[in-house]
Amino acid sequence: MMLAAVIALAMLPLVALRGRTLLSFYATAITLDGMVAFIRNRGGYTFDEHLGLVALAVLHVAIFALFLARGRNVRFDATRAMLIGAIVYALAIPAMSVHPPDGDEEHYLLVTESLARDGDLDLRNQYATHPDVPQFPDDPKGRNGEQYSRHEPLLSLLLLPGWWLAGQRGAIAIVALFGVLLIRSTVRWMEDEGIDDATIRAVFPFFALAPPVLFFATRAWPEVPAAFFFVEAIRGIRAHRVQRWIPALLGLVFLKLRFVLVAIVLAGSLLFERRAKFARWQLIALIVILAPLLLMAVVAGNPLNVHRASELLPESPYRYVRGFFGLLTEGMSGIPFRAPFYLFGLFAIVRWRHTPRGFRIGVVASLLYLFYLLPRPEWFGGWAPPLRYVVFLMPVLALGAASMWSRISRGAIALVSAWTIGLVIHGLRYPWRHFHEFTGENPIGEWLSLQYGSDFSRLFPSFIRANEARWIGVAVVLLLIAIGLRRWKLDLAIPLFSIALAFGFAYGRRPGTTIELEDRHVKHEGGRLYPDPFTFMRTEYRGGWVLDAGHSATFLAQKGTYDLDFITGLGATIELGGHALEVRPDVRYQKVRVTIPESGPATLRCLRGAINVDRLERVHE
Amino acid sequence: MIRALLAIAASAWAGSVAVQHGTPIDQALPFLCALVALAGSRDATLLGVPLLILAENVFFEEQTRLLAIGIVMSGVMAITITRSAESGAPASRRLMPERPAPGWRAAGRRVLSRRDAGVPLALILLLRWIPFPQLWLREIALIVIALAIYEVLHRTPFATVVAVLTALATPAIPLRTFALPLAVLFVALLARFFNAPRLRWEWPSAVVIAFVALFFPWSGIMARAFPFFLRPVIEERPRLTLNYALNAGAKTAIDVPGDATALIVSGANVATLRRGARLGRIEPGGIEVRIGDAADWGYMRRDHFYGSHNPLPRDVAGRIRGWGYNAWIDGAGRIALPPGARTITVMGDASLPAGATLQVEAFELR
Repeated sequence: MMLAAVIALAMLPLVALRGRTLLSFYATAITLDGMVAFIRNRGGYTFDEHLGLVALAVLHVAIFALFLARGRNVRFDATRAMLIGAIVYALAIPAMSVHPPDGDEEHYLLVTESLARDGDLDLRNQYATHPDVPQFPDDPKGRNGEQYSRHEPLLSLLLLPGWWLAGQRGAIAIVALFGVLLIRSTVRWMEDEGIDDATIRAVFPFFALAPPVLFFATRAWPEVPAAFFFVEAIRGIRAHRVQRWIPALLGLVFLKLRFVLVAIVLAGSLLFERRAKFARWQLIALIVILAPLLLMAVVAGNPLNVHRASELLPESPYRYVRGFFGLLTEGMSGIPFRAPFYLFGLFAIVRWRHTPRGFRIGVVASLLYLFYLLPRPEWFGGWAPPLRYVVFLMPVLALGAASMWSRISRGAIALVSAWTIGLVIHGLRYPWRHFHEFTGENPIGEWLSLQYGSDFSRLFPSFIRANEARWIGVAVVLLLIAIGLRRWKLDLAIPLFSIALAFGFAYGRRPGTTIELEDRHVKHEGGRLYPDPFTFMRTEYRGGWVLDAGHSATFLAQKGTYDLDFITGLGATIELGGHALEVRPDVRYQKVRVTIPESGPATLRCLRGAINVDRLERVHE
Repeated sequence: MIRALLAIAASAWAGSVAVQHGTPIDQALPFLCALVALAGSRDATLLGVPLLILAENVFFEEQTRLLAIGIVMSGVMAITITRSAESGAPASRRLMPERPAPGWRAAGRRVLSRRDAGVPLALILLLRWIPFPQLWLREIALIVIALAIYEVLHRTPFATVVAVLTALATPAIPLRTFALPLAVLFVALLARFFNAPRLRWEWPSAVVIAFVALFFPWSGIMARAFPFFLRPVIEERPRLTLNYALNAGAKTAIDVPGDATALIVSGANVATLRRGARLGRIEPGGIEVRIGDAADWGYMRRDHFYGSHNPLPRDVAGRIRGWGYNAWIDGAGRIALPPGARTITVMGDASLPAGATLQVEAFELR
C-alpha cells in the first residue's frame, strides 16, 4: 500500500507539470522527503508516525497544487483535472476506509447489498444479518411486510456495478468516480463561464482535493453524485442542451427527494431561457419534478417518502436565524472551520453583479432548498461529515470564488490554504472524527480543552449549543465576507490573524464565565453523558452530565457566584467549594446559586442521590 | 515598507502574547515572529508566524516543541531564499506579485533592499542573537561584514549561504576571530574583481539553509560541533554518578554495577590536546581513552572554543547545555565497559600535562 502511494504521488505531477516546473517540483518534494527522513532517523521527538505519513502525503499534494497554480510549464484541462482527482481519491479511499461505513452510509450499502444478492429492495434479511445497522420505526413497509430503506434507492443502484466488482470498496469507487466526473464538469463549467486558465488551476485543488468534496467523494454518500448532477443540470440549462439538463435533473431528484426543491427553482429558470418553447419545457420540467414523487407514492405509499407535508410549513424565525448563521459560523460544522475556501464563494455573493451567470443561477436555484434546510434540527449535517446538506452547492461557490480570485486578499488565500491542508490531514488521519456528537464542540476545541484543562471550546462559535462566541463569530464572518477578504494594498491578513490566534490561546487558558459541565475540559470522576451518545436528534435535548453519589466533576473556574443549572428526579446532596447543598427533586430544570471561593480547579461532588448538572453560569453582581 | 514594518510589529506582538513556556527559545518567540516577517517578503512565508504560535501552544514536550519551531523557521528561511517556487517565475505568476522593493541607493545603483538583505539578516539574527549577545557591537560588526559578503557575491542564494555560514562559524571571541569573515570577504572581492561566474545554486542553498535553521535552538552547537546533528539522538539512560578526577599516573578501582553498560568520561584542562592524545586507560582489557573518545568538559563553550583543539567525541555522552548561540555540549564520551568485568581500574595517563585530569563521571546503566 505504501509503495503504491509513493508511486501514485510520484506520478501525480507527470499529469500536468512539464520541463523546469516538473524538475522544480521534484527538487522540492525530494528536499522535503529528505528533511523528514533525516528528522525521523535522528529521533529525539514524540510524534504519531501515522499522522506524520499522512501529513507528508498531503504536503506533497499541496506542493503539487502550488506548482500547478504558479508553474510556468503546466498542461491543464478538464481531463487532466479529472486524472489528478482520480489519483488523489484512489489514495484517500484506503485512508478514509479505516472508519467503517457510518450513519446513512450503512443503509445505502445495505440496499446495494440487497439489490446485488436478492435482486430486491426488501431489507429484512439484511437487517437480520447486520443487526448493528439501526432501523427506524417510520421506515417504509410494503404490502406483504417488506421492509424498505427510508433512503431513495438511486444511489444504491448506481453503486451496484462497483459492488459486483469489488464489494464495498467497489461501491465507494463508484462514488469516487462521480467525484472525478464532478471535477471534470466543474472545470468545464468554469471554462464555459469565462474563468481564465490560471485561476482555474489555482482554485481547482481547493474544490476537488479539499473538504467537503474530498471526504464525501471517498465515502458512500449521495452528495457528490448530486453535486455532479446539479452542475450538469446548470451547464445544460446555460448551454440550452436539453439532452444534458433533463437526465441531470432526473438524476438529482431521484437521488434524494429533497433536491426536488432545487429542481423546482432550476426548472423555473427555464422560463427566462427559452420563452418560445415555454410550454414544452415546462411540461418536461414538471414531469421531472413529479417523477420521484410518483415513484415514492407507488413504492412507499407516500409521495414524500418518510417526510410529512407539514414539514413544508414555515417554522419559527429563530430556527432560520440559527441555521443560517450556524452554517456561516458554527465551530463544529460551519463553513469557516470545515471548508474555509467557500468563504470566498460567499464573498462572491455580496458582489453579485460581478459574478458569472451560472453562479447566480446556482445560488438562486438553491434558495428554496436552503429555506427548508435551515430551520431543520440537522442543518449542520447530522451524523455525517460536516456540511453534508450543502455539498451539492460547493461547485457553485467554487465558481463564485474563482470569479473573485483576483480581488481576494493573498494573505487570506494563504491562511485558507494552510487551514485546508490541516483539515485534509486531520480528516484522512482520523476519519471517524468526521462523525461528531452534536455537542457544539469541535475536535480542536476538545483536544485543546483536554490538554490545558481549560475551556477552549467556548472560543468556537456554536449555534448547536448556543454559546457566547456565536454572535461575535457572526460579526467576524460577516465582516470578513463584506470587506475582510478583499484584496487591500495594505494586506495584513496574516499578522492580524496571528494576533487573534495568540489572544485566543491566551484567553482560552483562563477559566470561562460559563462552564458546560459535560464538556471535555471538565475532568469527570464517574457519571455519564446526557443524553446518551448517538441519541437520535440529540441537538433537541439539553445536554449535561449525570452524577450519582460518589461521582465528581473538576473544572477550572474563577472565584465568584454562579448559577448552577441542573435537573434531578431523585433529589441530591452536592458539594462545591466546601459547601454542601441539598436539592429537591423536580421534573423541570432548576437553578441554584453557588459560590466558588477560590480561582483555580473546583470540584463539584454528588454526595447523595443523583443529579444531571448542565452548566454553571457566573453571576455578575 | 509600511506594510513590512506593520507586519513585523504585529507579528512580534502576536508572538509576545503567545509565549507559553520558559526556555529562552520560547521566550524569544516575539523575536522569531519578527524575523519571519522580516525575511518573509511574501504572504505565503508570513504563514510562519501563526505556525510558530501553534507550535508554541500545541506541543508540550520540550524537544518536540523546539524541533517544531525549528521546522517552521527552517521552512520559512528555505522558501524565502528561493524567492519563488521556480526561479525566474514572472511576477504575474507569483502568489503575491510585488513592486520592486525599496532599496538603499548608492551612486545611482540599487545596492541593498530590505527584501534582498532581509533573508541573510534574519538568518544571522536567528542563529546568533538568541539569547541577546553581550558583545552586541561585535555582532553588529559581524552582520555588516556578512552583508558585505552577500552584496559582493551578487545577492544570490549561494551568497546568502556563504554569508550566513561565515557568520555562524565566527565565534567573535576573541576579536581576532574576525579574521575569518574578513578573509571570506577578501576572497569574495577577489572573485568579483576577476569576474568569477555568479553562482546561484538555489536548491542546494535552500537545503543548507533549511538544515542550519532547523537546529537554530542549538545554533552554538551547530557552529562548533556540526557533526553532532548528523548522529541519531540517543535517549539518556540512567547514570550512577562517580565523579573521580585522575591526575597523571593516578588510578582508581571501581566496582561495576550489574546493569552498567558504559563508562562516561571527560577531561579537565585538556582542551589544547589534539585528537589521539592519551587521557588514560581502563583495565581489564587495556582500553585506551584518548582525545576523540572524550574531550575537555567545557571545550565547546563559546569563550573557550577558539583555543581548543579537541574534536567532538565519537560517542557523545555530554548533555546539551544552554540555548541558541550559547548552546554547547560538555565533552563527555561513552566508553563501553569490558565484557563481564566486575571491577575496573581507571588510570590517568602519565603524559597528562600538569593540572589536567581524566574525569570519570558516571556509569551508564541499562
